[in-house]
Amino acid sequence: MLEPYVPVLILFLIAVFIAVFVITLSALLGPRRSTPRKLAPYESGMDPVGPAIRRIPVKFYVVAMLFIVFDIEVVFFYPFALVFRQLGPAGLVIMGVFFVVLLVGFIYEWKKGALRWE
Amino acid sequence: MEVVVQITFGVIAVFILVAAAMVVSVRNVIHAALWLIACFFGVGALYMLLEAEFLAVVQVLIYVGAVSVLILFAIMLTRQITGEGVRQLTNRWPVVLAIATLLFATVLAPTLINQQWNVPPAPPLGTPEPIAGPAELGRGFVNEFLIQFQVVGVLLTVALIGAIVIAYEERARRRKVLTLAEELELKRLREQTSPTVPAPVEAEPVVQESRSASER
Amino acid sequence: MDALTIPPVDLGLIAPLLVVVTWATGLLLVDTFFIPVGRKKLTGYLAIAGLVVAGLVGLPLWGVSGSTFGGMVRLDPFALTLTWVFLLIGILSITMSLDYLPRQDIEQGEYYPLIMFAVSGMILLAQGADLIVLFLGIETLSITLYILTGFAYPRLTSEEAAMKYLVLGAFAAGFFVYGIALIFGATGSTRLSEIGAYAADRDLGDTNLTLLLGGAAMVLIAFSFKAALAPFHMWIPDVYQGSPTPVAAFMSVGTKGGALAALVRLLFEALPTLNAYWLPVLAGLTALTMVVGNLGAIAQMDVKRMLAYSSIGHAGYVMLGVMVAGEQRGPEAFIFYILVYALSNLGAFAVLIALEHQGEEAWQLDDFAGLYQRQPLLAVAMAIFMFSLAGVPPTAGFMAKFYALTAAWEGGLPWLALVGVLTSAIAAFFYLRVIIRMFMTEPEGEPAPELNRGLTIDIVVAAAGTIIIGLIPAPIFALVERSAVALGG
Repeated sequence: MLEPYVPVLILFLIAVFIAVFVITLSALLGPRRSTPRKLAPYESGMDPVGPAIRRIPVKFYVVAMLFIVFDIEVVFFYPFALVFRQLGPAGLVIMGVFFVVLLVGFIYEWKKGALRWE
Repeated sequence: MEVVVQITFGVIAVFILVAAAMVVSVRNVIHAALWLIACFFGVGALYMLLEAEFLAVVQVLIYVGAVSVLILFAIMLTRQITGEGVRQLTNRWPVVLAIATLLFATVLAPTLINQQWNVPPAPPLGTPEPIAGPAELGRGFVNEFLIQFQVVGVLLTVALIGAIVIAYEERARRRKVLTLAEELELKRLREQTSPTVPAPVEAEPVVQESRSASER
Repeated sequence: MDALTIPPVDLGLIAPLLVVVTWATGLLLVDTFFIPVGRKKLTGYLAIAGLVVAGLVGLPLWGVSGSTFGGMVRLDPFALTLTWVFLLIGILSITMSLDYLPRQDIEQGEYYPLIMFAVSGMILLAQGADLIVLFLGIETLSITLYILTGFAYPRLTSEEAAMKYLVLGAFAAGFFVYGIALIFGATGSTRLSEIGAYAADRDLGDTNLTLLLGGAAMVLIAFSFKAALAPFHMWIPDVYQGSPTPVAAFMSVGTKGGALAALVRLLFEALPTLNAYWLPVLAGLTALTMVVGNLGAIAQMDVKRMLAYSSIGHAGYVMLGVMVAGEQRGPEAFIFYILVYALSNLGAFAVLIALEHQGEEAWQLDDFAGLYQRQPLLAVAMAIFMFSLAGVPPTAGFMAKFYALTAAWEGGLPWLALVGVLTSAIAAFFYLRVIIRMFMTEPEGEPAPELNRGLTIDIVVAAAGTIIIGLIPAPIFALVERSAVALGG
């Protein structure tokens, strides 16, 4: 049932309220004096180097895609982990087959060097 | 309680619809991606409302967590990143909207009009109780959904191969992947030529090999 | 909680599928670890061996009928025969790729395991008895094909084709899932037999009937997209033109065979009671498909595009068999047409590959000018394929078309059969145009295309099959008739 989530809902509403409230308040009350330094892109206190927006190499994308594949795999493990005692050895075998298929994919990408970062 | 659920649903539904509309109408692609993430979040909340907690968590984990990162990376790969000032909609978008609505309505209108919502359908023949909760799902994986579960594993592997084949390195300067035999041979050669400094150059020669191979 | 019993699983019933998947996964590793770059043909040979083994494993299953995995997967002669046809398609496609890939400088070992995975998706479609299994089968097939379509990387058309196919395909997949959800909402099951039983035994009432209809409509849209029925065919010409030629050949017969095999099951196991609703819709789509495909092909000067449009037209003829699959003749016509179409079309694409030099496309009609004087045998083979696709006796294509049209006629769709005859007459025009170019015009100074072993084998097998089935169709008829028994009953 949904009752346990009512506090979560209330917490969420409070959080949204505080966020909106604070931003509105500072927008209404805060002084607006812009200096060049203030308008510069924020780079953790350093002077900004180069444009903030630039193209990234494609390898980030490959890593992200591999991450998604294994993310989904882990999601499949989770329900299994909850009941693996009940399932006994047969369940382990079934999970093993699933795992081996993905392991093959993992070995393949490792050998291909997709996990290497140069 | 019922009223609270109804109101929550209304708020979430409006939120999702607005976010989805923003995705296709804002001019900054990054903003569109952020709205899409908001949309994913709303769907997760909807799952929560339907008491599918596991699905809600998965939605947040995969869509909000991983897919959104992928989308942002994809945008950052493109030449014109923000796409400022690029109209996503054509000038004739009302016409398109009308046609799309019409087509969608022809398919779904009969369903929606004749449907008496809130009336649960008669129990189906010989089907077990609906799956509720991750533990049930875990049991389903080895029981009634065994074949689907295994096929999903294969499907994920295929997707992984695809990711590497399509995007790994720019394929024009493809790295040469050595076979096991070639790797051992290389290692042996290296040990013969420079027996004194074996460790630090471990990974290097493979790379050099690849460069020379790709320049062929 | 009570202890769990895992239902009995008969792996024997999915043996061919199992062999293909296991072999493909193993081959992936063997390829990366042991087969050096430049000798990837070896991977191709191993893949062919795997498909052959899978076919042999299926032999003892002949005549066996049964379902396993809790009724999610079914084996019957219908599925088994289709499995063999799909394996044959896979073998022929790989054979024609062996030399094509290095010639185009796009050779990567993953190509062959990917084709095997695609074949496994097709087999799953033929065997699936559950909507989710069918969805996974379609996705396995499609995702593999997205990758293969974009395989010719430096070529922009290939990237373009992959992109178009992916976006539209993902959209169609969305329709499929939505449809499954609605059907599940109406009947509470995703199993085809249970949906059918539920719809037959009970008065559905407005509520569930409309839900079921909505769901069925969505699912039909997804299938129509995969099989390229008329209003959903827009992607075909661009995708076929852009993708590597063997992949286009594989797609043209593979996706049709797989998706329509699944459609047969869906229509006649899950939705037979809704016959009155889907039959007019599908009949309309089929008529439109035949007309659009064949008329579209006339305008094409590019033979590869022409074959793409012709494949749309042929989807319509295959659909003739699908729609009357409730009768004995329906599934027979379906299997027979798929087999014959696979042979003729793969052969025609193999000829295209033979004419294709590295990086340069030679698919214009003019490139076929005087082919007879340059390469007489190649021209004769192409003529056989063109005659077969046009449905001219004594080729197999004639028998297949005759079979499909009579099945539709007897199955109560005479007007559709008439449309089929008329469109075939139109189709003859553009197929014969190629033949005329090859035999009756002077060559335009093109160097003779070189044939290699894989292609030769492919073309010879396809041409021989087309002729032999056309002349002595009896053994194939017998096979097809026995395959169709289980489904009709």
